[in-house]
Parts: sequence; structure tokens; C-alpha cells
Amino acid sequence: MSGDIVLAAKFIGAGLSMIGALGAGIGIGLSVQGALEGMARNPDTYGNLLTNMILGIAFSEAIAIYCLVIAFLMLFVL
Amino acid sequence: MQEIPIRRLVLEKIRKWRWGKHRWILLALIILSVVGVNLIAPVQPHIQVAAENLSAEPLFTLPVLGDFYLTNTFLAMLLMDVVIILLALGVRNAAKKNELAPKGIGGVFEMLIEMLYNLTESTAGKFAGKIFPWFASILIIVLFANLLKLIPGFETIGLLHHTEHGYVAQALGGNWYTVTNQQAADGGYMVTPFFRGLSTDLNFTLAVALISVFMTQVIGVGAQGFRYFGKFVNVSTMFKKPFFGFMDFLVGLLETISEFSKILSFTFRLFGNMFAGMVLIALIGVMVPIFVPSMIMMFELFIGLIQAFVFGMLTMVFMAQATQGHGAEEEHSS
Repeated sequence: MSGDIVLAAKFIGAGLSMIGALGAGIGIGLSVQGALEGMARNPDTYGNLLTNMILGIAFSEAIAIYCLVIAFLMLFVL
Repeated sequence: MQEIPIRRLVLEKIRKWRWGKHRWILLALIILSVVGVNLIAPVQPHIQVAAENLSAEPLFTLPVLGDFYLTNTFLAMLLMDVVIILLALGVRNAAKKNELAPKGIGGVFEMLIEMLYNLTESTAGKFAGKIFPWFASILIIVLFANLLKLIPGFETIGLLHHTEHGYVAQALGGNWYTVTNQQAADGGYMVTPFFRGLSTDLNFTLAVALISVFMTQVIGVGAQGFRYFGKFVNVSTMFKKPFFGFMDFLVGLLETISEFSKILSFTFRLFGNMFAGMVLIALIGVMVPIFVPSMIMMFELFIGLIQAFVFGMLTMVFMAQATQGHGAEEEHSS
């Protein structure tokens, strides 16, 4: 019985840790929005904006990836 | 006046039905996957964060670090090295011919290197020559580490080993076996693949991240001399203006912390993306084995490309920042 509770706690914890992806999603959406608006107003800056946008996405995506790693650790390692 | 008939001709040509070749290959592959799934049902693999050991006994033992096993990511790394060395030899041969417009491998790599060098030059300016080798080699290594899983048999062919919660093994003839999807009653078998995606091993990503961050410091010192460390221990304005000097000191502490967190974020970004992709393909392959895994695989290849680009690009941007120094900002803040 105790083993079952531990297993359930693992799954619940993994699910809860993925809540952090919420912020990363909002952040990625905002940065893409900004970049697209810039591109639409000034199409010449397309290349420059694209690389910077991908960099910004990578930074905010890293937060979601931390959550994912914590979830993986709970599911497969602990 | 002359454009209209040509355009009409092109449109007619496009609309004409052609038998084609690739669409039938694709259809045959989809039918083959249906047949294959019915013959040998997919098995949910055992998912493990650390790389699996191929050898039962450790190869050698170091005093502090412990035992060293032959792992499957190590074999994948050797494979990646061989592929990169072969490509380098191909590029060397192409460069030896001294053509104006190289074809094949030489042409592809000329395009890639030229694009990357222009990118570096637009960010780093006169330090491009120093930064570019690190940027390009990290990008190419991570790119090939991610793309290697295109090889058939990667992560699927391997040694059988005995576990408690395994599956029944079935002989295929010769020394070859396959695992069926029936749970064995007492002690079945599991497959330990010969090759596993290199970026799904934390050791590889940590090694590349350490190289990247360490070389950032080296290039910073090379560009600015020992003034570079003034960024971390900032006492230059401490005695002139007590309050803002103290704030600058705290900012320096934050810079130090962010330097260490760079290692962490480099490591886990690549590892997390690639490991999540591996788990996703394995789970989708069990649940919907027909056609959907190839779509996910395509998406994963795209993710691998983007991650390789992001890893190299961030290295390049951090190195370019390290060469620039804080002179302009100090004037601004005081």
C-alpha cells in the first residue's frame, strides 16, 4: 500500500512540475508577437529579428525544459 | 505580353497528372508499416535517464570517479566522430580541386560556413576570426549528434539482457532474436540498444557546455586582458561613490552567478529537448505505430536542428559579449 502512495505522489509531482511550462508558453508567445509585429512594420529587419527571436525563445524555453527535466527525474530516476 | 502564355504553359504542366515515383514509395512504406506492426507488435521500451551499459564488467576504474562502462552513447559518439572525419576528408578533397564553385559536399559546407561566418562577423566584429571556430565546431558537432538518429537501427537494435519485468524473446533464426509484446512470467528480456542518441546523455551536453563557457572566459581575457575580471569583482567605483559602487559590486556578484547558470542552462536545454523527443517517439511508437511516429520524427529532427543552432548561436553571442567589456555601461550608470 505504501508503495502505491509513493507511485501516485511521483505522478502527481511530475504533473505539478509541468505547470511551470505555462510561463514559458506565455513568454514565447509574447516574444514571437513582438518579433512578428516588428517584421510586419519593417520587413528589412527580417533576418536580424529572426535570429534574435530564436535566441529569446531559447531562453524562455529553457525554463520549460527545466520543468520537463524535473518531471523526468521524478518519473524515471527517483 | 509574352509572360501570359508561358505562365499558362507552366500551370498546365503542373495540373497534368503524373505517375510520379516518390508517392508510391511513401504509400508502400505506409502499407509496410501496417504489415510490420501486425507481424511484430511494438514493445514499450524501458526508459532510463543514464546511458545503458553494454558491458557487464567495467572497462577500467579510476580512484575518485569510479567505474567506467562501455555505454551505448559512447559508441554513438565514436560513430559521430567517424562521420564528421569522413565529411572533413570529403571537404578537404573538394577544396584541393580549387574550383570556383565546388559541388557536392564541398558546396554544401561552403554555403554553411559562409553563412555562419557572416553571422559571426555581424555580431562580433573584429573578433570574428577568434570566435568563429568555436561557434562552427560546436554547431556542427551538436547538429550531427542530433541528426545521427536518422540511421535505421539506431536505438532499436542491440543486446538482449535479462531483467525482472521483461518480455518474451522470440528466435528469428541464426543468432538474432526479437522481443514480443507478451510480458514474461518470471524474468524476461529487454533490449539494450547499441547506439542511443548522443544528446540524450547528460555527460555529452555537460562537456560541450563546459567547453563553451570556459572558452568564453579565455576569449574575454584575450580581448580585454585582466580587466575582464573587473566584470565579476567590481571594486573600481567602490571608493569614489560609496552607494553606487556597492551596487556595482552586487551586480558583479550577479554576473558571477549568471556565468555558472549558463553551464546549467546549456546542459539541460539540449538534454531536455533531445531526451523528451526520445521518450515521445518511444511512447507514440507504442500507442499509434502507423505513420504518426514518422511525423513526430520529422518534428524531432527540426527540434534537433534548432537546438544545434541555438547552442552555437548562444556560445557565439556570449563570446561576443565577453569581448566587448563594460566601458560604455560604466559611463552610463555613473
